[in-house]
Amino acid sequence: MTTSTGEAFRSIEETVRATHGRPGPAYWIGLAIAGSVAAFGAWSYSLIVRTGLHWTGLERPGMWGNLITDFVFWVGIAHSGTLISAILFLFRARFRTAVYRIAEMMTVFAVLTAGLYPILHLGRPWFAHWLFPYPNQRGLWPNFRSPLIWDVFAVSTYLIVSTVFLLVGVAPDAAALRARATGWRRRLYGVLAFGWKGTDEQWRHYTRAYLFFAAFATPLVVSVHSVVSWDFAVSILPGWHSTLFPPYFVAGAILSGVAMVITILIPVRRAFRLETLIELRHIDMLARLVILTGLIVTYSYATEILLALQGPAGDPERSTFLYRMTGPYAFVFWTMVACNCVGPALLLWNRVRRSTPLLMGICIAVNVGMWLERFNIVVSSLSHDRLPFDWRIYVPTWVEWAMTVGAFGWFFTLFMIGMKILPPVSIAELKEEAAHASHEGAAHAG
Amino acid sequence: MRDPSERRVGRRTFFRITGAAGAAGVAAGCSPQAATERLVPWIVPPEDVVPGQPLYYRTACRECSAGCGVTARTREGRATKLEGNPEDPIGRGALCARGQAAIQGLYHPERFRGPLRRGPGGALAPLSWDEAEDALAQSVAAAGAKGPGRVRLLTRLEPGATGAVQRAFMKAAGARPRDRVVLEPFDPAPLRIAARALLGADGLPVFDLAEARSIVAFGADFLETWRSPVEGARQLAAGRGRLGEDRTRVTWVGPRLSLTGVSADRWVRCRSGGEGAVALGLLRVLLDPARSVAVAAEVAPLSPRVARLDPRDLADRAGVPWEEIERLALELGRRRPSALLGPGAQSQGAGAVQLAAVATILDVALGNVGRTVFHGRDQREDVPSSADEVGALLAAAAAGEVDVLLVHHADPVGTLPASFHAREALAKVPLVVSFALRPDPTTALGHLVLPDNHALESFDDVAVRAGVVNLVQPVMTPLADTRQAAQVLAEVGTRLPTPAAFPSTDPFDLLLARAADHARAALGTAPADLATVHRDALQRGGHWSAPPPSRPPRLDAHAAEPFLALPAPAGGMPSELDLVVFPTALRGDGRGADLPWLREVPDTLSSVSWSPWLEVSPATAKRLGVATGELVAVSTPAGRAEVPAYVFPGIRDDAVGLPIGPEALALLPAESAPTFRWSGVRATVARTGGRTRLPVLEGSPYQHGRELVPVVSAAAPSPHRPDLSAKMYPEPTHPQHRWAMAIDLDRCTGCQACMVACHAENNVPVMGAQAATEGRYMGWIRVERYLGEAPGADLDVRLLPMLCQQCTNAPCEPVCPVYATYHTPEGLNAQIYNRCVGTRYCSNNCPYKVRTFNWRDAQFERPLDMQLNPDVTVRSRGVMEKCTFCIQRIRHGENEARDEGRPVRDGEIVPACAQTCPAQAIVFGDAKDPDSRVSRLARDGRAFRALEETNAQPAITYLAGVRQRGET
Repeated sequence: MTTSTGEAFRSIEETVRATHGRPGPAYWIGLAIAGSVAAFGAWSYSLIVRTGLHWTGLERPGMWGNLITDFVFWVGIAHSGTLISAILFLFRARFRTAVYRIAEMMTVFAVLTAGLYPILHLGRPWFAHWLFPYPNQRGLWPNFRSPLIWDVFAVSTYLIVSTVFLLVGVAPDAAALRARATGWRRRLYGVLAFGWKGTDEQWRHYTRAYLFFAAFATPLVVSVHSVVSWDFAVSILPGWHSTLFPPYFVAGAILSGVAMVITILIPVRRAFRLETLIELRHIDMLARLVILTGLIVTYSYATEILLALQGPAGDPERSTFLYRMTGPYAFVFWTMVACNCVGPALLLWNRVRRSTPLLMGICIAVNVGMWLERFNIVVSSLSHDRLPFDWRIYVPTWVEWAMTVGAFGWFFTLFMIGMKILPPVSIAELKEEAAHASHEGAAHAG
Repeated sequence: MRDPSERRVGRRTFFRITGAAGAAGVAAGCSPQAATERLVPWIVPPEDVVPGQPLYYRTACRECSAGCGVTARTREGRATKLEGNPEDPIGRGALCARGQAAIQGLYHPERFRGPLRRGPGGALAPLSWDEAEDALAQSVAAAGAKGPGRVRLLTRLEPGATGAVQRAFMKAAGARPRDRVVLEPFDPAPLRIAARALLGADGLPVFDLAEARSIVAFGADFLETWRSPVEGARQLAAGRGRLGEDRTRVTWVGPRLSLTGVSADRWVRCRSGGEGAVALGLLRVLLDPARSVAVAAEVAPLSPRVARLDPRDLADRAGVPWEEIERLALELGRRRPSALLGPGAQSQGAGAVQLAAVATILDVALGNVGRTVFHGRDQREDVPSSADEVGALLAAAAAGEVDVLLVHHADPVGTLPASFHAREALAKVPLVVSFALRPDPTTALGHLVLPDNHALESFDDVAVRAGVVNLVQPVMTPLADTRQAAQVLAEVGTRLPTPAAFPSTDPFDLLLARAADHARAALGTAPADLATVHRDALQRGGHWSAPPPSRPPRLDAHAAEPFLALPAPAGGMPSELDLVVFPTALRGDGRGADLPWLREVPDTLSSVSWSPWLEVSPATAKRLGVATGELVAVSTPAGRAEVPAYVFPGIRDDAVGLPIGPEALALLPAESAPTFRWSGVRATVARTGGRTRLPVLEGSPYQHGRELVPVVSAAAPSPHRPDLSAKMYPEPTHPQHRWAMAIDLDRCTGCQACMVACHAENNVPVMGAQAATEGRYMGWIRVERYLGEAPGADLDVRLLPMLCQQCTNAPCEPVCPVYATYHTPEGLNAQIYNRCVGTRYCSNNCPYKVRTFNWRDAQFERPLDMQLNPDVTVRSRGVMEKCTFCIQRIRHGENEARDEGRPVRDGEIVPACAQTCPAQAIVFGDAKDPDSRVSRLARDGRAFRALEETNAQPAITYLAGVRQRGET
């Protein structure tokens, strides 16, 4: 090991350890805001628990609204983590190294958020466990034909796999941090290190295991959101019943997830002084992913609409799409198009992509757009179904908005706590890269 | 006087004697849960009372003057549901929405619990019945001593024992016959006057619409409130059931398309008040010698007089093209017999007597009298007073000439136009005695409240018409310390200085005393054993016999002359609009409008509940700049009201429609006329800028090219149906039964009786106005009403009763994660409330959107909870619910059949909606049995299924309505 490599290793470790330093007032203020938003959402939800779902704006025919939108949105956010850590790992895309840990943390916390909402929207949430297959005195299995059961499996599998993947990646870093940690941190990193000593044998097993985990997680990226899309595609509701949904939902999920990663990375690398590790070129690569998935999403929109408009006059599906574009939810539709199609397309210009404020703005817009996309799918289809006599407009109530915003509070609370505990970048992999770099440098010099 | 406890024993003895009639078929005592002063458990339980088994009593409905027979279902001593009496010649087993809701009057939370007297502080305070009756006796005696007219009685129509007691009481109190005033504001009085003047016939004509090949209704909503709506719907369905040329054709004449008009084949869109001109126009064409239409000889003398009428003037007065009148007249000439009905409240304006007279002449001219229209069959017991008489009573009260005013189930303050100033008049009366069951605007002015028993707690009889006397008997002991008004009057009457001679003061004995007359009328001779005959009649529900033959009345052509003048042209400013005030099938004349079911169930035509609404045509709405839900101010010389607008293409551009209620009553004038005037008022309508969220059920009233509710005609006798022969997956099989339903849209009138029946049978909760505004109506069956293809297209109203379709390929079933909804072997989509976690996916995937969700816990305010059907779960919040095809009735029928070791008979199991349908549009049965009625109907050429292209394979077959538009 050369001195310069040692310097590089030390600087990486120091930078990461610095993020775990005593938090400043800005951190506490941020945590307090996120926590109180989450608490207000929870209190709003307690109203529903106390007297029922009449607090929502739901009504026949629209039985699903904001809360299901939130679920799909957060499941979508969860997708980029695994994409970046697993698929890009398999593709040997090096730029992932700097950003994948934050993406993985985001994934786990987003799944933790997403998993709440199907339960929160239940009429009798205290019986949510009935959706799990367990031996019970009722002698009754769940209905395996129901996409909601598939959802239960998809989301819980995804939660388990993404958590394991995160922890496996953390193990060598935790060992590195344990060395100089004291108190509860030392005990925590001791646990998270899983007995990591950094022997050659451990490294051999570890890299092999990591590869397998990556290979195992990769299909989940595609499958989980496909399953979520089946919640809709399996039904016979015009606007939901579409074979296009699985790929369309996966692309949308990755678009929103990557946009969310960028949205988080930009402030985090400044606030936690990670500029040296998470470089602009990394973010630039992510922005290119946004362009790609944005184009896929745009293509999906176009396909869906053009196919629906082929229908004869009076066809309910055609009617639903015209309703989306011209009805009372038209502003949702056109905002969605602006955010998800036009926004990513602007990133084709290097100047836009490399301007941090513009990139940040577009990524936030994409997230707004992706939330609206799910709202558009869930709500506008329901409120304009087959029997016109039943058509009715759904407008979320303040309780539902409080719960929707509360989801962000909950997510960022978890994320901010996570930032203070877990290493936000992979120390081991960065060291590996630094070593490679110095070897390459040495080779050139030699 | 007898000891009160003795009387109570007497009534209970009666229960033991008469017992039950009907499907339970047992005679038994009951376990009256209110008579628990001495609670002694049964040591030897009565043999026939089986806990859990319903016990049925026959009685009669007192909600309107139609007097339908009722079968009350009781469970463990309390009434749970009212159904029609299948043996009763009026309703034949059907009961309308209002009749069924009467049970909520019985259990109304606000019912008076005992006699009350207004204290010096102005508050009502309880007192004992003895004190109350003494006080009344003293006041009546003191007032009677001052001379006639000091004691007056304002009552609803009481054609029975109660009316007889009232007359005897008033006589003993020294009152004149005219001091008893019968308040029945919606009585078609003009028809009485016309029949009297032209034919010398007393009473209203009785119609047999089943025989008619043509019906012309001049604002007479005979399927909603006019005369006998249940009977009208049944008779129309019978006439509609005839095929080809004999099929009844209905024409609705009026400025507004009423629900009755929706069932009509043609709408003559005359202006408000133009109905008389239309009728005259018909007469003009029929009597035109050039047309050579055969008419009765009696009307021939009128021909020259009628010929002097200028068609152009008539068309102008009517507001419709002359050709339309001509076409209708020629059709009437061809399609006989016919029936011309009118006026109804919507056409009862200044020219109503003329309209009634011309309609009567037309009936005579077309030979309808004696075939579809019968005079001399109306009941003679009691006659509604004229508007003049009501006005005179109120004037006397206002002048301080009345000392005691007895108010018996009449609400002059709440049901008369405000310009009658009943409130001010009653305030001048020193003693206003009310027999009301629960507070109303009149009891607010009462000094002594002597709450009557509910009809379901009373003995009485109702003479409906010649040959029909329906008997009212208690189906349970009174809930509170109330006393039947007839008994109170009888008891007070015996304490007067000149006591009235009553056979008894016990209502049962009072009824028994009249039984001899009824039995003699029914049997032709005096019965040997009156008690047996009377008991049988109580078990059956009434004394019925063929109407006595009456001499066909002859038209007095001379008397007819004055009615043939050209009606006066429409007056008023061009900026004003005609105000069309209409009663609705649910709220009737407004007396029962506070019953929760009647407020909760949305009006079929507007889909509005819990609120009044002002119908404005799209053009008028555009001119006024208002949209549905915006408040508009309606002003007439009599008053002003602010009502939310409802844009409705079924009303003329020069008119607005307002349902009967406090708002309408505030706008109507009180004119000195023999008849009440409900129409012919001009109003100024302006937007106020205010807005409400009007509780409307409808989303879009248009079909949007989706062919949801097809119709058939001679040219296209079958609806288009998709080819569903390709199968991808195996479908559920039904080894024994496959319960199914057929709904004949040609018969459905949208009367909403099924909706109320479902509320009653299935404990469907009433959620209130707020929930209605939020679109959270809980009903399991609704009547979807489509107005046409698209906004601005031709008005083509089609009704589609929508309830769970119990699909074979039910989309709701696979998506439920917890098997809360699943397919039973009998083809039902069962909903297991206990399993439901409330994902609501089933509703999202239901193409018919017939599932309702419990957004909050339902409230059944005591004692309304006593009405709940013990066979049906009351659902908690967070679960889905929907129509079950009345699974409890299916199980009951299956169990009965199994106990008797036989298969279930076709027609044995009847869900509540089918049971009560006046038009018998709903048929239920087993689709596995190819010979069942429902299977045969499913093979009918008119059959179609709702949203059939989704391949849900519903168990409900609809039979498309038949359209004869344009044909003659």
